[in-house]
Amino acid sequence: MKTILKKNPFCGFDLLRYEGRIIVVIMALLFFVPLVISDKAIVNVMTLVLLYIVLVSSLNVVNGYSGQFNVGQAGFYCIGAYTAAILSTRFGWSFWILLPVSGIAAALVSLLLSIPTAKLKGMYFTIVTLGFSEIVRQLCLNWTSLTRGPRGISGIPSPGFFGISYSRNAFFYYVLFVITVVMLFCTNRVLKSRIGRAWRSIREDDAAAASLGVQVARYKMLNFAYSAFWAGVAGCVYVFFQRFVSPDSFTLDESFNILAMNVIGGQGTLLGPIVGSITINLITEMFRSALQYRMLLYSALIIIMMWIRPQGLVGSINRKAPETEEKTEMKKGGVIDGSAS
Amino acid sequence: MLLEQLINGLGQGMIYALMSIGYALIFGVVGLVTFAHGDVIVLGAFAAFYSFTFLNANLFVAVLSGFIVSGTMGFVIHRVCYNRFFSSPRQIPLICTIGMGMFLRNLIQIASGTEAKPIPNPLGTGSIVLGNIRITYMQIFIFAVVVGMSVVLTLFLGHTRMGLSLKSVSMDKTASALVGINTKRATTIGNMIGCSLAGVAGVLLGMYYGMITPMMGGNIGMKAFCCAVLGGMSNIWGAAVGGILIGVFENLGIMVFSAGMRDTVSFLFLILVLLIKPEGLFARRSR
Repeated sequence: MKTILKKNPFCGFDLLRYEGRIIVVIMALLFFVPLVISDKAIVNVMTLVLLYIVLVSSLNVVNGYSGQFNVGQAGFYCIGAYTAAILSTRFGWSFWILLPVSGIAAALVSLLLSIPTAKLKGMYFTIVTLGFSEIVRQLCLNWTSLTRGPRGISGIPSPGFFGISYSRNAFFYYVLFVITVVMLFCTNRVLKSRIGRAWRSIREDDAAAASLGVQVARYKMLNFAYSAFWAGVAGCVYVFFQRFVSPDSFTLDESFNILAMNVIGGQGTLLGPIVGSITINLITEMFRSALQYRMLLYSALIIIMMWIRPQGLVGSINRKAPETEEKTEMKKGGVIDGSAS
Repeated sequence: MLLEQLINGLGQGMIYALMSIGYALIFGVVGLVTFAHGDVIVLGAFAAFYSFTFLNANLFVAVLSGFIVSGTMGFVIHRVCYNRFFSSPRQIPLICTIGMGMFLRNLIQIASGTEAKPIPNPLGTGSIVLGNIRITYMQIFIFAVVVGMSVVLTLFLGHTRMGLSLKSVSMDKTASALVGINTKRATTIGNMIGCSLAGVAGVLLGMYYGMITPMMGGNIGMKAFCCAVLGGMSNIWGAAVGGILIGVFENLGIMVFSAGMRDTVSFLFLILVLLIKPEGLFARRSR
């Protein structure tokens, strides 16, 4: 990796030295967006940027810090969204209760999924998360009595706040802003605690971590659940923001989208997801007029980013990339077995 | 009914087997997972579609065009996604293949439009009836092509200089380089062969379904990945068996559930197998 990086002029600068300060500055700037800009469309886009910051950061907790490779984050996002949509339209639960409830629902499902995944490593873990996200989407598509299938759930009430109901965009912007700040704060605290150190030790070498007394399976479960919780919360906000939910929003491409933002921003850093979400969303928004060529540009952008700055926009050369020994072993691949066995 | 679904499942499983053989070959030789496989498969199907419509081609030419176009794409994918990333963290080439897959999908969509394209079936709808089982010509053709290609692949891997070098690269790249194997060339060729097989699988799949759309790549690629994992990732015969098993279970599963639950059935099956054997069915003991 280093040899590629040395040849590459774009890899010189290291933002991580000032990570904390940069996060504070970016969040402070984001705070003023709806106050300065009154254009509804732009505030909408910025709301989505914040939503993706939460989603990408939640994925980053798994991919960046415990070294597993989850590609099915849209599954948890979907669970959170549908929990919120169903409970609010059928039982009239309020937005504020549903925020933690949908997070907890997603976390519970992730614990369930941990039963098969706790034993799995590398690509096997990846395929299960991928399959899980697809299973969730197909359940939403086919369980018509509960989810209304492909037509989706509409008519989601706008959340009230002390008796006044808000539907203005700035409202959602600030709700998401607060959630983002809380999430970044919590994640930062968790990562600096015993739990975060355990996660990183699993990332570096799970056998060594286990020999030092880290209960690997338990901490992996916790890691997965923590990540799923925030994805669920993001799902809840998304539903109330769009006031409509259908399985189309949670396809594989959505998972890949979240993953791409994470890698482009920089895995294993707090700042990476923020930068990734802002960059990708703003660039794709800028090319909205390019219509069908937009996705072409987006995919080309992903590849170009990997060519010129593979460690992500804010990733550093000096930090050890999240790669465990088990993964290097996978890199060698296996023996192709041509003989019938 | 049950027997008929079993035969359908076998037919579909054969196509899955070809897809996942390609996948396992790529994983074995290159050592990296690809998420562009589904779109390479669809590319093969579209190559066949265009050769049918513009060249009035016969079956052989259609399959050949799928083979060649996808193989060429394999070369491009290798250059873009793998070549410079062999020593970097694994998620980098993986993200590149995701980008490549999206690029291909959207390129096909722009070139051909979003609507589903019909693929003619030159074999007609004839079938052989054995007792109360009906086997269509299409299924026999699929069977013949898949078995034929697997046999050729096995002979290639076991008995030619190039095939042996692919095998050795899949065991250990550094050691292969030390004994004078051009590992870059070997990985390029391995990737191209894997993609060509995918292209042929795409042609067969298109003819089997009768319809192709540019967007079907994501799902199919996942299916190929799924079958390869089930068989133990780099084991080619394991992948073939995995493909057939998934095909059969899917078709039995949609008898019980609705047809929309097709993918759910195959993924649940995979997760259940991984619960019992976390390294797939036919994984080699790790050395």
